Amino acid sequence: MKPAFDRRQFLSQTASGLGSIALASLLQQNLAADAAPIRPKIDPARPFAARATHHPPAAKNVLVIFCSGACSQIDTFDYKPELVKRHGQPMPGADNLVTFQGQQGMLTKSPWEFKPRGESGKMVADLVPQLGELADDMCFIHSLTGKTNTHGPGENFMSTGYTLDGFPSMGAWTTWALGTENENLPAYVAIPDPRGTPQSSVNNWGPGFLPAAFQGTQWSANKPLGNLAIPAGTSEKTDRATRRFLKRLNERHLEQFPGDAELAARISSYELAAKMQLSVPEVTDLSSESKTTLREYGADDSENTLKAQFAKNCILARRLIEKGVRFVQLFNGAYQTGGEGVSNWDGHKKIHEQYSKHGPVLDQPCAALLRDLKRRGLLEDTLVVWTTEFGRMPTFQKGASGRDHNPDGFTAWMMGAGVKAPYSYGATDEFGYKAVENVTTVYDFHATILHLLGLDHRRLTFYHNGFERRLTDVHGSVIRPILA
Amino acid sequence: MSAFWKDILLQSRSRALALSVCLCLSLQVTSANVAAIDFQRDIEPIFQNHCIDCHGPEEQANQFRLDRLANLLSGGNSGEPAVVPGDPDASYLLRLIKHEEPDREMPPDGKLSSDEIELIRGWIADGARTPASYGPAKETIQLDHWSFRPLHRPRVPAGNSAAIDWLIHRKLDQNGLQPSPAADRRTLIRRLSLVMTGLPPTPEDVTTFLRDDRPDAWQRLVDRTLSSEHYGQRWASHWLDLVRFGETNGFETNRERPDAWPYRDWVIDSLNEDKPYDQFVRRQIAGDALGDDVGTGFLVAGPHDIVKGKDPKLGLVQRMNELDDMINTTGTAFLGLTTGCARCHNHKFDPISQRDYYAMQAVFAGVHHGSRSLTPSRETKQQLAKLDAEIADLTEKLKRFLADESTSNSMPRPAVNAVSNEERFEPRLASVVRFTIKKTSGGQACIDELEIYSGDRNVALASSGAKATSSGDFKHPLHKLRHINDGQYGNARSWIVDSVSGGWVQIEFAKPTVIDRIVWGRDRQKKYSDRLATVYHIEAADGENNWVPLASSDDRRPFKGVRSNTPTYQFESHPEADAAQGRAWLNRLRQARSGKSSLETSAQVYAGTFSQPGKTYRLYRGEPDAPREPVGPDTIDVFGSLNLNEDAPEQSRRLALADWITDATNPLTPRVIVNRIWQFHFGTGIVDTPSDFGHNGARPSHPELLDWLASELIQHDWSLKHIHRLILNSHTWRQSNRPVAAAMTVDADCRLLWRFPPRRCDAETIRDSILTVSDSLRHDAAGGPGFSAFAVQLENVRHYHPKQDYGPDDWRRMIYMTKVRQEKDQVFGVFDCPDASMVVPRRSRSTTPLQALNLLNSRFVMQQAGRFAKRLERESDSTSRRVTLAWQWCFGRPPSEEELSDSAAFIGQQGLTQFTRALLNSNEFVLIP
Repeated sequence: MKPAFDRRQFLSQTASGLGSIALASLLQQNLAADAAPIRPKIDPARPFAARATHHPPAAKNVLVIFCSGACSQIDTFDYKPELVKRHGQPMPGADNLVTFQGQQGMLTKSPWEFKPRGESGKMVADLVPQLGELADDMCFIHSLTGKTNTHGPGENFMSTGYTLDGFPSMGAWTTWALGTENENLPAYVAIPDPRGTPQSSVNNWGPGFLPAAFQGTQWSANKPLGNLAIPAGTSEKTDRATRRFLKRLNERHLEQFPGDAELAARISSYELAAKMQLSVPEVTDLSSESKTTLREYGADDSENTLKAQFAKNCILARRLIEKGVRFVQLFNGAYQTGGEGVSNWDGHKKIHEQYSKHGPVLDQPCAALLRDLKRRGLLEDTLVVWTTEFGRMPTFQKGASGRDHNPDGFTAWMMGAGVKAPYSYGATDEFGYKAVENVTTVYDFHATILHLLGLDHRRLTFYHNGFERRLTDVHGSVIRPILA
Repeated sequence: MSAFWKDILLQSRSRALALSVCLCLSLQVTSANVAAIDFQRDIEPIFQNHCIDCHGPEEQANQFRLDRLANLLSGGNSGEPAVVPGDPDASYLLRLIKHEEPDREMPPDGKLSSDEIELIRGWIADGARTPASYGPAKETIQLDHWSFRPLHRPRVPAGNSAAIDWLIHRKLDQNGLQPSPAADRRTLIRRLSLVMTGLPPTPEDVTTFLRDDRPDAWQRLVDRTLSSEHYGQRWASHWLDLVRFGETNGFETNRERPDAWPYRDWVIDSLNEDKPYDQFVRRQIAGDALGDDVGTGFLVAGPHDIVKGKDPKLGLVQRMNELDDMINTTGTAFLGLTTGCARCHNHKFDPISQRDYYAMQAVFAGVHHGSRSLTPSRETKQQLAKLDAEIADLTEKLKRFLADESTSNSMPRPAVNAVSNEERFEPRLASVVRFTIKKTSGGQACIDELEIYSGDRNVALASSGAKATSSGDFKHPLHKLRHINDGQYGNARSWIVDSVSGGWVQIEFAKPTVIDRIVWGRDRQKKYSDRLATVYHIEAADGENNWVPLASSDDRRPFKGVRSNTPTYQFESHPEADAAQGRAWLNRLRQARSGKSSLETSAQVYAGTFSQPGKTYRLYRGEPDAPREPVGPDTIDVFGSLNLNEDAPEQSRRLALADWITDATNPLTPRVIVNRIWQFHFGTGIVDTPSDFGHNGARPSHPELLDWLASELIQHDWSLKHIHRLILNSHTWRQSNRPVAAAMTVDADCRLLWRFPPRRCDAETIRDSILTVSDSLRHDAAGGPGFSAFAVQLENVRHYHPKQDYGPDDWRRMIYMTKVRQEKDQVFGVFDCPDASMVVPRRSRSTTPLQALNLLNSRFVMQQAGRFAKRLERESDSTSRRVTLAWQWCFGRPPSEEELSDSAAFIGQQGLTQFTRALLNSNEFVLIP
């Protein structure tokens, strides 16, 4: 019996053992040897065991901080003196420009002042002052471009490389390829915002057509992993006895199927589950964190409880990275408890009012997380990626005090393993509207992240329904200038 | 239908002929200045020096070569014609050599001189003459790929199921392997039941089969199993995976599709009644033309992005994506062809051009997401006619009891109501429709949607280009003018006029349109009934601003509050006997009315709406803003033609495609479906890439067997049950599942079938098996709307929270669990359950600790373990009897001595519920043996 994993093994066996069955023209697509798919060798009994990279990696783990709702580059990291100068004037060429919600009003500078930060003097807005102080450690990409100006497809695109639903997320690709360093914890964890899930919800961490084992496990400080606890009314002792009894049943049954990998894998999955039941609550329990740490993150803030909750998620993220979880996605912003800017970064109508609430929730906890990772030496092996689904307009919307969607130029930054810092790559035009210098696609962005993990985005493919699928479709190239 | 599928060679088609005619004309025209440019002297050397190394006889980069006329004309993978004789501006070759296409500058190592470019331009302008050695304008294409060849039924010295065994055994023999002996009867009945019905056999079924000593006991059991309704309920889930059937829209709002379920029932019923497969296919593409409407649920079963921005390009891309989903699903599900590849460029491996893709798009271009009213069945029509007659009769009889105010002879229309009001009128051409509110039931009037119909199509929708304006809008986040024609119902998607004294809202169409019906309401979701427009009139204007009345409240009964929309009868003043008779009539009238309304309203199904489409264009690189030549509806050129005009009626396009797919000479359709059936029996198909039978897909492990099964399908009137019977009655299927060390070293994956390959059950079978052994499964609740695994948070963007408590409503078979895209059942979803975002021809099968945690600790499983324990307690007082029963229910066999004593000891210490909890988690319970 053969589990879904390990098509590679299947092919090689067929090729050596049964030459007469010419099964796999898949591998014979006249592809050059350096472009042929590299499929991970997955042991069915240990699907999450660490696996070989394609080339020596710069980073072992990834932490993605995702600001859901399209966080404005204009009000955070993309400083444009010309916008300040031309504040209140029409944007040249925008007379007939129709973006997602309609027509444009005037060019509008950010309500937050930009100031030089760190030794590099990088200009960052007062909306996120503490993050600004870390600018010397950041590698900015100011010229990202997307393919859609709708949130759901935009989040899909940033998380899965496709605007449509149903494709594997970056974390799924990564853990399918690489397994994890700590099999007692999920290989891939998605931490939704305390207010709920982002716009395209679980698609952001879905497995797509990869085996379901590689989907992100949803887990946050206020919402622990499901079905982890022993059922009510069952004592620990009884639970152990039941598992032992179950194991005996399964082992007797296995005697009839010697060498059956899938049945053996099922037995070991119960042992792994038991280990998780111990290690997961341990990671979730923040009581071992010092008061200083809680204060630094803002987790003790009794006035801004939302900030305190997000801060706890930030601490959880650090603990997961510390324990060797391969891929962590930390969300800031949700759609569930109020769309259009209420509980996310979608500031269409009242950006000043709304971002004044969101800024402090993000800034202190996130900055504390970054400092903490750095202090503990975790940035040596960990790549931190801050991103959002797309950018916003330098104009206000006609008749409103906020900015419409803009996929033509937006900012993300990276920090830690494998990237230059301080560094700024690419640029938008004089107003921050369109990427004009070193224009970068989301595909390039993904190719670069995979590259830092030791994976060649062109060769990390999975055959599905007639296609060799990739995270980067048929596009993308590594953004070499930002590599350390 | 004539045989579209030509044996090996394809003849040139009308399109090519037309091209040759043009070519001849241009040659004649330019013959006067033929001396100006000589191909062999002026052009060929340029090609030789700069191009031919990569685009010639040795190599054809991007499938393009310059030394064949046909290829010069058709172009390479881009789908752009490289050379259009007489029209340099339309010739892609010129754009490339002029370096006007970023990233595709040719030649890549340096630009041609401007003189050379000018020569090539002149040559094209002169008609692009080439010598005879460059071949004709259209070359025949060899279709020598295995799956494109006609079916070839092999000669096999055995019939029926023995033919399968003969072909399987021959291959085993060639590889030095032997088939395994037959499995024992307990294994067989359990395997049969799990594979064919998705449920474990009952102990009674097992005993009956064990005791049946007739020689055809197995065949009888197979027949019994195939006639069980559980067969359709199991196998429909394979089909629903394949056609990405979901009951929410997906994307960011992920709204429900409450009318989608009839398609699920239709698939189940079709399988159970063994609808011939060709009919099954035809009705899914064009059921509306074949008196079987629900089948077209297939076309729109996929995700649908309902968030439309104002950016027009975004809207076009969304529409292209919708059509792409239909083209792709049709291509992969029925034909095993990955047509989607050709959206942006010619298919790299299969003979599918970009033009073919857009020809298929033209077939579906009139299909839109949405519900439509079904044509009522003949019985329904008869019932309705009967009820109408009865209503008329009773109304007449009751007339003398009418209270004073409504004794007039005319039959006024019913009073307005908050849910839905219909206005019918003679069809007329209108460019704008205005709804004027004169009076309301209180406050400013609210309308959730103003629908204006042209036949079945709501032409008021903003998405179809209509614009809404009003006399003034009430300002509120939920109530917006754009909600009046956004296609969405309910208070949260409604418009409110700004003034209590009335006002108007009007819809201007993109172009003058013939309309015949208007439907409007306050809240189609029936939660609100205030703010109802009670006095109103509706007018339309043509292009010249001539306004004419369409409908008004004048001929309706006066509105008297929410409940009263029937006239008032007065019985008291009549003699007692008359009054009693009157009351009985009234009672009967009410019943008849409610019967009528339920017959009329139950027939909305999410099966798509249809309209005559405009022209379809080939899109350069698949970009909606780069249209090229118009393309008429057709299928893949090298395989044949639908013989349709560019403006063929919408329905005829789909019908022609359906006919072509199911034409007896089309070898792909039967091969693809018998392979799928084989796959769901053995875990892997004869072709391991079930939705790709093209060049890039896998080769069949047993090509003759595949063709033999395919020809059996056609010879037996496309009966799927016939194929099942052949497979189930074979020795190959009935073999033992035990590993054989020697065979494992040669063929570990058992592609040659030296044993029956055991595998883990899928999510549905595990859940249904648990419900069966705990005696919770609702056998009485088959069909109809599904049950939900979620509590739904009714925001604009829907949120689905997993249910925390379960009752009998949740204990139906899992196929009836409402399929919510993006979300999965919190317990069984992790068992590789797809979420209907994509077509899934074959599920992955993974083993993870989260699965273990869910089966061990979830409330769902613990509740069932408890119910299972209670069932055992009810059945017997004896522990050993309870263990034996549990073993029979869960594994279809009695326990061994050791199992019995171990279990009894365990129950003594930990209790029955822990015992049943363990059994539900065991490998044997979740294994198809």
